[in-house]
Amino acid sequence: MLNFNFNKMKRIIIILSLIAVLTSCSKDLEKLNVNIKDATAAGGETFFAYAEKEMAGAMSDLTYGSSGTPWTICRFFAQQISANTYNEGSNYFAQFNWTSVYMNVLKNLDESRRNIEAVSPLTDAATKQKQNQLAIIEVMNVYTYTRLVESFGNIPYKEALVIDNVLPKYEDQKAVYTDLISRLNAAIAKLDISGTSFGTSDLIYSGSVTNWKSFANSMKLQMGMRIIEALPELGTTTVQAAIPGVFTSNTLNAKLTFLTAQPNTNPLWVDLAVGNRQDFVAAAPLVDQMNAVADPRRAVYFTTVSGAFVGAPYGLPVEYSRYSHFGDLFYTPTVPSILLDYATVEFLLAEAVERAIPGATGTAEQHYNAAITASFSYYGVSGIDTYLRLPQVAYQTATGPWKRKIGIQKWIALYNQGFEAWTEYRRLDYPELKAPVAAFINVVPKRLLYPTSEQTLNTANWSAASSAIGGDLMTTKLFWDIN
Amino acid sequence: MKKILLFLLFFAFAKAEAQTKLITGTVKDTGGAIPGVSIVVEGTGTATQTDKDGKFRVQAAPGTTLIVTSIGYSTVRMPVTTGSVYNITLVNEENKLNEVVVTALGISRQKKSLGYASQELSGESLNQVPTSNITNSLSGKAAGVQVQRNNNFGGSTNIVIRGNTSLTGNNQALFVVDGVPVSNSTFNTADQQGAGGGYDFGNLASDINPDDVESMNVLKGAAATALYGSRAANGAIIITMKKGAGKGKPVIELSSGVTIGVIDKSTWPKFQQEYGSGYEKIYGPNRDQFFNSQDVNGDGVLDLVPAFNAYGSFGAAYDPSLLVYQWNAFDPALATYHVATPWVAPKNGPDAFFETPVTNTNSISMAGSTDNGGNYRFSYTNVNQKGLLPNSDIKRNNFSMSNTFKINDRLTVNGSGNFSKADVTGRNLTGNESGSGGGNYSAIVRQWWQNNVDLGQLKDAYFSTGRNITNFIGGTIDNPYWTRYENYESDTRTRFYGNLGLKYKLTDWLTADGRVSVDTYSYLQEDRTNTGTTGQVGRYTRQDIDFMESNYDLMLNFNKNITKKLNISGVVGTNIRRNDLRTVFMETNGGLIVPGLFSVSNSVSAPAAPIEVAEKLGVDGIYGLVSLGYNDTYFLDVTGRSDHASTLPENNSTFFYPSVAASFIFSNLLKSDFINFGKLRLNYAEVGSSAPANRLTDILQKPTPFGSVPLYAVNTTKNNANLLPESTQSYEAGVEMSFLKRRLGLDVSVYKTNTKDQIIPVEVSSTTGYTSKYVNAGEVQNKGVEVVLSGTPVTSKDFSWDVKVNWAKNKNTVVSLFEGVDNLQLGSFRGTVTLNATVGEAYGTLKGADFIYLNGARVINQTTGEYAKTSTFNNVIGDVNPDWKGGVSNSFRYKNLSLSFLVDMQKGGDIFSSDMAQGYRSGLYENTVGLNDLGNPMRNSLADGGGIILAGVAPDGSPNAVRTRMDTYNNALGIVKGPQALYIYDATYIKLREVAITYKVNPAFLKKIRVRGLSISAVGSNLWIIHKNLPYADPESGLSAGNIQGYQLGPLPTTRDFGLNVKLQF
Repeated sequence: MLNFNFNKMKRIIIILSLIAVLTSCSKDLEKLNVNIKDATAAGGETFFAYAEKEMAGAMSDLTYGSSGTPWTICRFFAQQISANTYNEGSNYFAQFNWTSVYMNVLKNLDESRRNIEAVSPLTDAATKQKQNQLAIIEVMNVYTYTRLVESFGNIPYKEALVIDNVLPKYEDQKAVYTDLISRLNAAIAKLDISGTSFGTSDLIYSGSVTNWKSFANSMKLQMGMRIIEALPELGTTTVQAAIPGVFTSNTLNAKLTFLTAQPNTNPLWVDLAVGNRQDFVAAAPLVDQMNAVADPRRAVYFTTVSGAFVGAPYGLPVEYSRYSHFGDLFYTPTVPSILLDYATVEFLLAEAVERAIPGATGTAEQHYNAAITASFSYYGVSGIDTYLRLPQVAYQTATGPWKRKIGIQKWIALYNQGFEAWTEYRRLDYPELKAPVAAFINVVPKRLLYPTSEQTLNTANWSAASSAIGGDLMTTKLFWDIN
Repeated sequence: MKKILLFLLFFAFAKAEAQTKLITGTVKDTGGAIPGVSIVVEGTGTATQTDKDGKFRVQAAPGTTLIVTSIGYSTVRMPVTTGSVYNITLVNEENKLNEVVVTALGISRQKKSLGYASQELSGESLNQVPTSNITNSLSGKAAGVQVQRNNNFGGSTNIVIRGNTSLTGNNQALFVVDGVPVSNSTFNTADQQGAGGGYDFGNLASDINPDDVESMNVLKGAAATALYGSRAANGAIIITMKKGAGKGKPVIELSSGVTIGVIDKSTWPKFQQEYGSGYEKIYGPNRDQFFNSQDVNGDGVLDLVPAFNAYGSFGAAYDPSLLVYQWNAFDPALATYHVATPWVAPKNGPDAFFETPVTNTNSISMAGSTDNGGNYRFSYTNVNQKGLLPNSDIKRNNFSMSNTFKINDRLTVNGSGNFSKADVTGRNLTGNESGSGGGNYSAIVRQWWQNNVDLGQLKDAYFSTGRNITNFIGGTIDNPYWTRYENYESDTRTRFYGNLGLKYKLTDWLTADGRVSVDTYSYLQEDRTNTGTTGQVGRYTRQDIDFMESNYDLMLNFNKNITKKLNISGVVGTNIRRNDLRTVFMETNGGLIVPGLFSVSNSVSAPAAPIEVAEKLGVDGIYGLVSLGYNDTYFLDVTGRSDHASTLPENNSTFFYPSVAASFIFSNLLKSDFINFGKLRLNYAEVGSSAPANRLTDILQKPTPFGSVPLYAVNTTKNNANLLPESTQSYEAGVEMSFLKRRLGLDVSVYKTNTKDQIIPVEVSSTTGYTSKYVNAGEVQNKGVEVVLSGTPVTSKDFSWDVKVNWAKNKNTVVSLFEGVDNLQLGSFRGTVTLNATVGEAYGTLKGADFIYLNGARVINQTTGEYAKTSTFNNVIGDVNPDWKGGVSNSFRYKNLSLSFLVDMQKGGDIFSSDMAQGYRSGLYENTVGLNDLGNPMRNSLADGGGIILAGVAPDGSPNAVRTRMDTYNNALGIVKGPQALYIYDATYIKLREVAITYKVNPAFLKKIRVRGLSISAVGSNLWIIHKNLPYADPESGLSAGNIQGYQLGPLPTTRDFGLNVKLQF
């Protein structure tokens, strides 16, 4: 039997109590689990500035491959440039990822809103500032969602950005668009030009509420015109209401100017100058069009080959050195990304006159000339008067219906705004672009494919959305694209 | 080194004074004399065997010990005294089965009493063929241990026991060295693991010096590791280091080895020798030529210039009568400036870049024991390794010591310390080409090469100019020599791990054990991109990593015979563990002011703020084990452990988990001559696990400020404040038997493990505003069988043959995921392939676009002749899990010569080859050239009778007869046109993994020169891939260790390693 002895017992008790003591230092263990290096909260303006930067970057970016943020492919789809090496993207084999849009832009706008809403203003000025900040966030939200819905069709919208629901439903594109217009109207109504907003944290307008209001109205004009054929009533009232408040000069342009050092440079500069990829050449459709009228903007847009501007046949692999490339301006890290500009507004106003929308003033020709003039002046190019007098350019003598006249000049003016160039091409159906011979589909894409990650991460909702819009295909027309 | 050797030799001679004498005797058992019994004079290398009458003769000095061993009998140690005749009686082992193994927490147990599977591997069997990474030496040697090595220089080896249990967390086994948990982390980035590019920094268990290892015990199931708690839920590798032993003068061992590698050609592409650079016939002024035309030499005549910008080899057929201006004809500094050369295949193809890898290993150790029962061992090992790629080397130095002091009869102190320093230069970039310096050479040549480029000319261009002349392959790919010499990484790690223990004998049945152990390292990783690199500004990055884990253990061990038949033993103890990890990352911004000066301060723009990480975690555990043994036949273990973990919310942070294991030695009741030993075992165990550090509170990302405007961003991963511990439940049953005087042994285990409530960052649709989210969900089930068969078909005095077979099959199933989600994306790769865990399927399915099938045949598009494919990318096209793995080792001994070899195999498992996908597209490989069914070159245009007919059917079911183009990089077999399923290969392999031939020099001869032992071995590893289905690469060479497997992009070729080792003992 066990033979206990007092001395031994004492030793055992000492050891056991040691075990007990060691274990009791366990109390504050959870205090180890604190992240002492990363912030857990920050002011709303920091998220807003980040979202602006990311959205401006996404609108300007391009890639040589067949994947990337949604709009890296648009310059190709608009046939302004061509890929000389990897041509699958320019031949419409391309997959996109909207992660940067939902996560970097929309989620941070939402976080900015949450933080600003949580602050209780103490003064009238602070109350106004808060209201303006929230309205500006809303304008950016509308801008971003508009780009998504115009690219993909049905998208996760009201159920998006709620992490507790990891399978957000896609919503009908028309309903989303209509809701976006009403959100924009509400935001415009809230913008109070007697107050301040984000100050220097606003990388687009340095906090000028007046400018934001003008941007919001210009966007409203653009949105109304986009749906004018699909939803004529809503389109007309929207355009009509917007006209009095739109941009009146290039100084109001919504653009973000980048810095000289990475990572705050224009991503386009990274793609071209830092990557030195030699993957992009000027595309013949645009260069030929501009060559025909000796467009002075060519000198800014493109480089020359033995003194000439040479566009490559679109979508075919070609020898890089044989063709014109992006001009020097785009090899500058600070080159601004344009979200919406005055030239676009004037083109839209010309169209409003042609469509006889109430409230549209002046003649289509005046607006058309003002638009081209704005483009020349933005790129610091002279010779506008000569240019406007050319029979192929002059509004009265240029070939084709007004859609073609406006379409072609808009396409040229939108050289550095690939998304808008492609989108307006889809709506106006001018210029007459063709899919390259060996392309994966036989028309210029009508929309972007949903990111393939949605097929594995949000399968059922992706599938439902695909059949709702008529198939997750690049040939599926979106609701506002009537012809 | 020479001087040290001489000194040691002198030392050995001076000490080897003791006089030996002739000893004779007989060895028998109850049945009479036993022939072929091995008799070794301990610590001298002197050995003999009994003859057919059981008699032996041997020279031994008084004070030494004879070690008498024979299969089926327990070993006898017979001290040599003044007498010269020794008659020894051996006892059948089944009557006295006391093999002791080291189990969890360093507790030594009799193997027969264990109710769970464990497999011991002796240091000798592990180290016979030297390896620079101890993890590799387990390959094929232990059933149920899946070892996957890759060919990265100093790269990591994936080691998973009994399948993946955690959906996204750590599935690697725990390494414990002499009671010290030793970190086996990898510091490979998510990008590296996902094939995006980056370096494979290896797994940190590679700091364990294989030469110091005495044995390894593989604890496979949760019951075996229950006392370790959560961290060993994936099994544990318990390593026992060599200790000093034997009385008398110390044993000094010197060993020296050299290994040379030769590329296994079957793991490297066969590049086609017929066509050079280009995409198709689209060059020249009218886009209808294979060459560009340009007046290079200014003579007014247009010259032929190959397509520099092409990332492929669909250009002109070689023709020596054509003179062309190659890439090196345009730089005035080169001798080839403005020299046109014949258009022919290059003299030096892509394999000319590789150098001969050489590894030198030298070690010295001294071990012995003291009079009062203490012992000591010191060792030093130096490894120098030169890699396959230029400018790559690893230097490793290991120092270790281990000592035991007996202070008095009750108190013993022991301690061990291991220090290592590993310096690496020039690891290879992995994955996609767009790494920091833009150059995984293997990925470039396997995917985008221009077959006309001559490696010898590239070498000349770099060494003669010191510049990066790159007007080939799009102008975006650097001269690979530039990449290796100007854009190399380096890393250096100093590490210490060791412990200090006190053992106090309270009574004859109760011992207190206290131990403090630490594992700490300091690790610097530096990367360089020099000014002049294509498409990059100069860049320097450094990451400093400091890690420390400390463990404090205190336990009471008891062992008492309650009655003559009933024994109770066990442990009560506590473990306190603290981990502390700190990293700082810094880099230059905007380029280097002075080219070639790699320091953060040499930055053109102001460097961004350093990125700091600080993570601490702690686990406090109390545990107990009670083990009952009845009549040496019935055994029962019950364990319990309660952990308090710092990483869980306070109200969920303490959790308890039990295990119970039983075994029954039924052979004790059988008394059969045929069955010498038989045991049944059965166990059930639960293990709880905690979360990684800092996962409860959301943090923000801190982007570089926009000028003076501060930026913050929501983090991409959503943390979770309500995490619960995850739990693993496992059942295991097994039988262990030996037959025919223990000449045949069998060990079979079956198991089922379910891991639930996993703490995982699940990938979610980014429309949620995040890309991943920490949840407590999901269940993975692993079921499997493991078989170990060992036998000694022949044994005699001069010749013996031993065989060992390991075989294991594991089947895992994803039982559930979370929140209505039935697919979890584990990784997504270039080429639109994803790795997934889908409910109802195995963990690790590959998804992508598939063929369209009609009655099992591939449908072919009747316009283009290309494969019809799905427009969706969520089709299962492969499963990365092997059907089974196995290994067969044989060892033969004839007199002093022994030969052993190991054949290692894997059946099944799928792999996606990005190399094949891109290589087909770029026209690099032999299978993109040759004749078609008409006897014409397939590279001819369709009009010229070229093209191929793909096997398949038209949509109406008739056999396909449409020929598809093979004269363009947009061909039907390349990645853009072909579905992902086209590049899925079966990863089956059979390899001759290891061969060793050892000659032990005759002890009688050695005695004359006063040497205890001398052996010379010729060894080989990875000598022959006997069978595989994946072309041009080793199916084992993945990206790196971790859960992302089944994807291959740009691996280095496998080398056949030949070595020579000499071991000398004084």
